[in-house]
Order: sequence, then C-alpha cells, then structure tokens
Amino acid sequence: MKAPLDRGLFRQRPKKTITRNLRGAIASRVIGPWEWLFMPALVAIAVTVVLATPIRIFGLHLPEPVMPLVLAFVWPLVRPSYLAPLVLAALGLFLDVYWSAPFGFYTLTLMIVYGVLVTVRSYVAGQDWRVVFGIYVATEIVFFGMGVTLIALDTGSIVRLIGVFEQLIATTLLFPVVPYMLDKYVHADVRFG
Amino acid sequence: MAYGDNKHFEHLKLPVTWAVMAIVVGVCIFAALMLLGDRREEVEPNTYGDRSAFDSAAKPVNGALAAPVHVVGAGTSWLDDYLFAASENRTLKKQVAELRQYRDAYFVLKDVNERYEKLLNLRTEPAVEAVTARSVSVTRGPFNNNRLIDAGASRKITFGNPVITDQGLVGRIVGVSPNVSRVLMVTDVTSHVPIMVMRTDARAMMKGDGGCCPKLEFIRGKNVIKKGDQILTSGDGGIFPRGLPVGEADQGVDGVWRVRLYADRAPIDFVKVLLFKDFSRLPDADQLLKTPPVSDLLPPPVLPTVNPAAAASASASASAVVSSAAPAPAAAASSSSAAARPAPPRPKPQPRPATSASASSSSSPELRPFTPAPAPASPQPSTPTGGAN
Repeated sequence: MKAPLDRGLFRQRPKKTITRNLRGAIASRVIGPWEWLFMPALVAIAVTVVLATPIRIFGLHLPEPVMPLVLAFVWPLVRPSYLAPLVLAALGLFLDVYWSAPFGFYTLTLMIVYGVLVTVRSYVAGQDWRVVFGIYVATEIVFFGMGVTLIALDTGSIVRLIGVFEQLIATTLLFPVVPYMLDKYVHADVRFG
Repeated sequence: MAYGDNKHFEHLKLPVTWAVMAIVVGVCIFAALMLLGDRREEVEPNTYGDRSAFDSAAKPVNGALAAPVHVVGAGTSWLDDYLFAASENRTLKKQVAELRQYRDAYFVLKDVNERYEKLLNLRTEPAVEAVTARSVSVTRGPFNNNRLIDAGASRKITFGNPVITDQGLVGRIVGVSPNVSRVLMVTDVTSHVPIMVMRTDARAMMKGDGGCCPKLEFIRGKNVIKKGDQILTSGDGGIFPRGLPVGEADQGVDGVWRVRLYADRAPIDFVKVLLFKDFSRLPDADQLLKTPPVSDLLPPPVLPTVNPAAAASASASASAVVSSAAPAPAAAASSSSAAARPAPPRPKPQPRPATSASASSSSSPELRPFTPAPAPASPQPSTPTGGAN
C-alpha cells in the first residue's frame, strides 16, 4: 500500500547519486567553453537588456539585478579558467556602457569578486547550499559596498543606500541560478578554457 | 628521433590558479586606469562621445528583445484599466469638477497677465521648439539613472537639451548619436538641477542620489520651504529654461528636504525634448582664454591735457592768466575760471602706455592714440581740472 503522501508532488523520487567510478567518468558529457562560459554570458546580456525595458507592471518597475555577478560567483567555483576572467571583463564593460556607468566601474568590481572567489574556491565548492547562499550574500555585500565606495570617490556623494539594498535584493533573487549551474558544471567534464 | 619530437617541456605546467590570478590582476589594473580616466561626473559632451556608437547599436537589439515585455506590459495595463475602471471613473469625475473652477480662473488670469505684459513692455521668453521621442530602455540602479530615447542628432537634438513628460522634468540629454540619445535623469548621482520654490521664490540645488526623490541642497533663506511646495526649474545657469515643473517638496525621516518628482506619477514612455539653447555653453572656454586682453582692443584712455607750468602759475597768482605754452583754448578757459576760486585738487597724470606716445608720434602719425577733437568755442571745460562754473 502506498503512503498517503506518496503521490503527485509529494512522491519521493530516488536520490541522485554521483557516480565517480570509471564508467561514470566515461559516460559524462564533455562541456566546452561555449557551453559554460559564452552561453551564460549571452543569457546574462539578454536578461539585462530585457529588464531594462521601460514599462511598469501593475505600477511596479521591472527589477534590475546585476546578472553578471551570478557568473562571477559561479565560474570560479566550477573551475579556474583563463577565459572566464576575460569574458567577465567583457560583461563588465558591457554593463559600463549599457548602464552608462563610469568606464571600468563594473569591470573592476566584478573582477575583484572573481579574484577573491578563485582564491577561496576550495573552501566554498562542495558546501551545503545554505553555506553557499551565505557566501553569495556576503559576496553581494562586498560587491555593492565597493560600488558605493567607488561612486563616492568618483562623484563625491553617497548614493541612496535604500536603492542599493533594492538592487541587492533583486540580485539575491537570482540565487537559484547558482545551485543550478553548480550542479550542472561542477561534476561535469568541464574542459580547459 | 626526429627534430621537434623532443618533449622535455611536456610536463612543465603553469599553475592555473596563479596564471588566472595574473590575468585578473591585469584586468583590474586596466579597469582601474579606465575608471581614473573617466570624467562622467563632469557631464560634458565629450565624456559620453565614446558611447554613442554602442547606443546606436543597442536600440534595435533592445527593441527586438523587449517586444514580448511590451506585450506583457500592455496586457497588464489593459487588465489594470479593466479592473479599476469604475473607481477611476469616480476619481476622474471628481477631478473634472474641481478643474473646471481652475479653468475659468485660468482664462481670466491669462487675459490679465497678457495685458500686464503689454503695459510693462515685458520681454517674455520665446516659445521653445520640441521633439517627441519614445523611451527605449531605462537604467534605474543606484549607481546610474539614465534612459535611451529613439531620437537623435538627425532631429536637431543636441547636448544639454532638457527632457520632459506631460507631468514634469525628466532630465537632460548627455549623449547624442544620429538616431538615439541618452538622457541623464534628474535622479542620477551626477545630476544637479537649479530649482526654485514657487511659493517663496527661494533658490536651491536639486541633487540626485540614485533614489526616487532627489534631495535639495543649498536652500537659500530660513523657513522658505514646506511640505507640498511646488518646485520649478529656476533657469539659473542657463541649462534649463525657467519654470519647468519638477515636483513637490517633501521632508524625509532624516530631515533632508527632497522632491517627489511629477514625472514619477506615470510611466515615462513618450518624452518631449526641448530644443533649448543652453546659453551657459555658448562661450567656448578655449576661445575665451585665447582672446587678447581688453587693453589691446580698446583705445587707450583719454588723458587730460594739463600743462604743469600753467597750472602752477594759476594756483600761485591770479594775475598770471595768459600762458603762451597753453595748447588749447580749453586750458585757458579752465585757468581763467580757476583764478576766482581755490584750485581743485589736480588729478595725477595717468601713466600712458610706453608704446603709444613715442612710437605713434615719431614713426607713423596715423597710428596715434584716439583723442577726442578739442572743442574750441565750447564754454564748458573739457578737462577735469576745469571744475564747475
């Protein structure tokens, strides 16, 4: 007899186990730079452009998260790469121009996030998602703190911190992308790029 | 073993983390140099010039990607109108009843105002030509607030043109390409707008901080502003024309006066670009620095023709009137009148430029400094030494 909650959404699915034996390694799909670097970068650009549409839905503006920050968090955890910082720099330059920020503003802040995470990746990769979420929020705080500091140095005035908090919340809502990409790429055969 | 098959270095591997960190550091240095060289905060035409090509390319891409979002937005707007039609109808009827009174008063006051302007011969500001454009994309983050609109230099839009909606001021043009322009919104952290409080005519500076409500700084006077006061552009500095509606004054919990923008009352979809000439930019700073000093352009000052000997003798004795050395009849007249009363203080001779007198008299007479022709029969003294009759 089936358990009363063992149907529909409550059906317990068999747990996925990662096969680390030889057969599993051979069966894993090879993932190249196009798939784990360039495609997410293009998606990030597309999402940024779409969310910049000047409309209001039920009186509310569209959110404006910093989409490349998710990639700056995920890519160093997947593996260190020569191409990733260059693609990230291009994404930062795109944000600088598209959002009309000072040249180098997003490039510098994203690069610092990437560099720090490359250094500490061995402590973060493989942790429980709650730990990863905490580190993600800490990364966001560092990122936006650097942004506030750089703008204060550049213009001599402090930006409204409530606005910074709103953008931080919008970027936090993108966190489900992080475990999705980590599950997809961390244990895959990600090729050198 | 063939040439080239030696693989002595095949096991030599660069430590990946170190190499990646080297790339990161290199990119960071490059980005920091770019950031140091950026002059966005100065809001000058050349600071946005490099981005115009990107803005031109962004417009069609944005239009294509945002098409589904526009459909969703139109659908929700229709649903919103449908659901709230009855309550909105009641509100609008009430507003129409109120506005009818204002309309009648407006026509009366407009007529009176026109009569006053004619009577006082006031020089009213000419009507400003405007271009309508549609907002293509918007950046609302805390670090930058700006928009792309689908009209550019081909429609006579230039740097500095104010941008408004039917509600109020939005910002001004900071980047122009042939078919796209970038609007710096008044909420941007680099935006400064000189404003005035309509009730008290007090002046202040509205400064954006990335939030919805820009703050007011340098408010002149005490108790010149209160909650709900209407804020208009003052026109000081010549960037914005005078009298554009901006918003209403409000005080935040931190005690800072802020402006609730009228432009936020409705979605900023279509905007109007005023082709207003920013007269503060008319003089070119480089040309101004190259202009010669005023002393080179103007004629040298007119010097009083005073004969020291005659003046000394006139002050010493009243009988010595005639002086053979007096060149002009004016001098004689002045000395005769001066004989009857104490001599006024004599002006000190003004220093004459060294080149004007000697060079002009010796080499070329036609280059002599400008001096007014002496009036021979004039009863009035022509020199300051003459005093009053």
